[in-house]
Amino acid sequence: MSDATKPPNGSGSQSPGIIGKRVPKLDALDKATGRAQYGHDVTLPGMLVGKILYANVPHARIVSVDIARAQKLRGVRAVITGANNPGRKFGYGTDNTPLKGDKVRCRRDEVAAVAAVDEDTANEALELIRVEYDELPAVFDPRAALVEGAPKIHHDKPSNLFTRYDYSHGDAERAFDSADVVVEGDFDLPYVTHSAMETAFCLAAFDLQGHLTVWSTTQIPFLLQRDLSEALGIPGREIRVIQPTIGGSFGRGLDVYPFEPITVQLAQATGKPVRISFSRTEEFFASAHRQPAIVRMRSAARHDGTLWAREARLVLDAGAYISWGAVTPLVMMETVASLYRVPHAKFVADVVYTNNLPTGAMRGYGNPQSTFFTEVQMDELAEKLGMDPVEFRLKNANQPNEETPQGLKITSCGLRECITEAAQRIGWESRAATDERRFETDEPHVRRGVGIACTLNVGGGARIYRSDGCGATVKVDDFGRVTLVTGSTEIGQGSETALAQIVAEAMGVRLEDVTVINSDTSVKPWDVGVHASRTTFIAGNAAWRAAQDAKRQILAHAAQMLNVSADALEIGDRIVRVKDDGRQVAFDKVVRALHYREGGTFVIGTGWYDPPTQLVDKDTYKGNISAAFGFGAQAVEVLVDMETGKVRVLRLVAAHDVGRAINPMYCEGQIEGGVQMGVGYALTEELLVRDGQILNPTFLDYRVPTALDMPEIETVLIETADPEGPFGAKGVGEMGGTPTAAAIANAIFDATGVRLRRLPMTGERVLAAIIKGESNAASQTEP
Amino acid sequence: MKPFEFFKPATIGDASKILADYGREGRALAGGTDLLIRMKRGQWTPRAVVSLNRIAALRAMEMNGELQLGARVTLGEIIRSAEARGQFPVLARTASKMAGVQVRSLATVGGNLCNASPSADMAPPLIALGARADIAGRDHERILPLEDFFVGPGQNALVPGEILRAIFIPRPADGFFCSYVKLEHREAMDIAIAGVAVSAQLAKSAAEIRNCLDVRIVLGAVAPVPRRAKRAEEILRGNDLTRERIQEAARLAASEAQPIDDVRGSAWYRRQMIEVLTRRQLLALMTAPL
Repeated sequence: MSDATKPPNGSGSQSPGIIGKRVPKLDALDKATGRAQYGHDVTLPGMLVGKILYANVPHARIVSVDIARAQKLRGVRAVITGANNPGRKFGYGTDNTPLKGDKVRCRRDEVAAVAAVDEDTANEALELIRVEYDELPAVFDPRAALVEGAPKIHHDKPSNLFTRYDYSHGDAERAFDSADVVVEGDFDLPYVTHSAMETAFCLAAFDLQGHLTVWSTTQIPFLLQRDLSEALGIPGREIRVIQPTIGGSFGRGLDVYPFEPITVQLAQATGKPVRISFSRTEEFFASAHRQPAIVRMRSAARHDGTLWAREARLVLDAGAYISWGAVTPLVMMETVASLYRVPHAKFVADVVYTNNLPTGAMRGYGNPQSTFFTEVQMDELAEKLGMDPVEFRLKNANQPNEETPQGLKITSCGLRECITEAAQRIGWESRAATDERRFETDEPHVRRGVGIACTLNVGGGARIYRSDGCGATVKVDDFGRVTLVTGSTEIGQGSETALAQIVAEAMGVRLEDVTVINSDTSVKPWDVGVHASRTTFIAGNAAWRAAQDAKRQILAHAAQMLNVSADALEIGDRIVRVKDDGRQVAFDKVVRALHYREGGTFVIGTGWYDPPTQLVDKDTYKGNISAAFGFGAQAVEVLVDMETGKVRVLRLVAAHDVGRAINPMYCEGQIEGGVQMGVGYALTEELLVRDGQILNPTFLDYRVPTALDMPEIETVLIETADPEGPFGAKGVGEMGGTPTAAAIANAIFDATGVRLRRLPMTGERVLAAIIKGESNAASQTEP
Repeated sequence: MKPFEFFKPATIGDASKILADYGREGRALAGGTDLLIRMKRGQWTPRAVVSLNRIAALRAMEMNGELQLGARVTLGEIIRSAEARGQFPVLARTASKMAGVQVRSLATVGGNLCNASPSADMAPPLIALGARADIAGRDHERILPLEDFFVGPGQNALVPGEILRAIFIPRPADGFFCSYVKLEHREAMDIAIAGVAVSAQLAKSAAEIRNCLDVRIVLGAVAPVPRRAKRAEEILRGNDLTRERIQEAARLAASEAQPIDDVRGSAWYRRQMIEVLTRRQLLALMTAPL
């Protein structure tokens, strides 16, 4: 052991153990057979069903709420309103309350809630509540919301502009004057939603000491304690959060939602456990969706193919309340300023209140948006330079051990390898003879094209909060069972098994000897939450430290038993042995010997990891936010029907620098799942919102790609052995879906010669662009 | 869901009587894939739900000179049926493009037609095949050309107490071709943005020329009801299939569509797609194997 505080990064030495093995997820059988207990499966004796009455008017003063008839309905146990249960302000913008008392600011606003003996009764009670509104003028376009005299959403805020992010490095303004080639365009990005398989839920119960237990789909159990405390005035130490098996989340669970404190209020009002389970329709309109963005972007390069400058100006629609989603510009600016070497960059984003539904965080946290417009413009620059898009990207790619002007300290970096692999495997070479290839299709009206796009992601945590830490303990019992108690959360990503692999490797035990406990704030050590692709990296480092600590204790005692120094020992396959002479003692026996002796003790190791990173400077937004960075390149081949505009993605190669694959199967799973979301973002997914109302809140008209819509995906894992990552691993959770839409847009251009700057690129939009492109071409050839 | 009375009659007569008694407040249940969703959403709150699942006669699929397709036959059964696949491949293909496996094992052809959605996928190919609706009332029966069965979005020609018993489809003669293409946003689990069914009775006129003795062009999802593009049919009927005539027919079909803008597509796109889908299917007929 050369450095006791850091796990090996896997470079050089071949790991003999479980790291890098394709072992199935520990929870795979339970999930596949339906045994796993999800939140909706949890019931308690006497539990009531909670339901919420939503405003369904976008902006209004509440004149009166008449609950008398609902209260009288048989089976109703409580009806609460903002008047009889005011709650306190909470949320990232401290602008929301559980139930609204005086005013509603969007159609989702929670006006009243009911607890009843069953769902039908609760629904019937909602219908009996009469709310009188005095409607106010509403504003749905964030640009209009910024105009003087626009309806004001929050009277205690100075304006509808919640905040402006203003970042620059170099001298972007003048750089565009000195550039040889400039491209410029407007981009329009839609609302999309997480579509987690499990809808959100909350179950709240008080014990007779008045202590609260909350079962939740949250991604931030410890922050939820704090947020609920803030919203309800219950001390955090009296709140316990339990996370049952969670059926996906993708950023939805990063904020506390009003329905959560409302569930608690209903439990308080009735003295009974209360559960609120979102219907799928509620999931569609009451989740905090990825925010839409209106973007003006320009990019510049020099004749020799050097990327020269970028400038992006964004208006982001936060909706009626601010969530952690308002912080996504921090990630967006990272792509604009630091994906490739960018000498000059400017990024301005206004986060604006409107009367639309509140938006929030979703997988990639701003990166899918900014990678789309940034990477489409990389292609446009290459075209204008007359340079091959792959060559242009390779020339400007980030390299290992460089610091970007933004202050990102890039250490391991496989971007060039990713680009090369993706291009080669998609058959980029044959694109050289591109004109013939474009017409090599089965039908005369179909064109073929290939495209590529890259991504830069945080891969070593992200210091969005003041702490980016995670705690872990590892205890060993009498029988050699090793239990990792980690602060981190499993939401389906597979981190639980990856952490178990790290602990098994560190301790020298078998994977099946390791149990992972990660679901109860009263048991597990603190952690900031599952987000930013951080769990394997951060919780992995913490788990490794805890395992090392426990191992040290076992070796120290085994050394006494075998009468050698601890350095002379090794653990492997449940045995502690002396390296030189092979004398040995069983691993579990060492632990038992510690328990059953005078002055005995027990084995428990602890580990805390908070990466060596910084919060960005609050004025310049510079600083090294992550301890490692992940990279990737995706290349796609598409067919475009020139008469219907329909795009078919045939093949996609996803080459990603994951540092080291603790379990290649999960890395591939994360990337393929990301690609699926990326294909949806590119081609079919869009929440259509008019006057603050979602027009398509069903999976029929909100179109997640089906298996038949998905291309053949070839995943290539590039292993660069990160110096800080556990066994060299970097985060991989989000980047699979980040470059997909841009790669597809670039392939559509290759096939058709038209640029799409609005997502999703539906058949209708592609056809409209083709027709417009043809008419432009026609008018240009006219004398 | 609101409480309701549930009936499981064994005969068409009994079902008809109950439905007649409840009038507009009674709903027939076949596969339930449309009905239950609306009831759960509170869009429909019937006092009586009358299951047709015990009535064996509704489940028949028989070939007696023509195909008699019981209204209660599921989409899955159509896909698996040798008759449908052999004689009416368009029906099996159409059914296989509707919803997903689970829904297809419940959803019925009669339900799809009675639901009378403008985008009902079974309607255009059945109308193109010249199908007729066999309707039974409490003490009468009647037969309607299927194209007259649709009255408006969600409205069919049945009066309370009437039940769609079966669909009669003439056996195709040699030289008869029928196809249906729907344009969707995704490859499965989707509803047509626009759909076109084309059927034609062809004869060889010269060596490589096909003459169109009879033709039907039926448009889906672009009007309040599935409708035939009769002007387009007119210029083809009795004439040789030429590229010029096909282009013209496709343009006419587009002009006969009455599409709207909605969440699935805009009117201009739908109209344009009618032209494309019509043209492509007619062009395919130029080389149809005779």
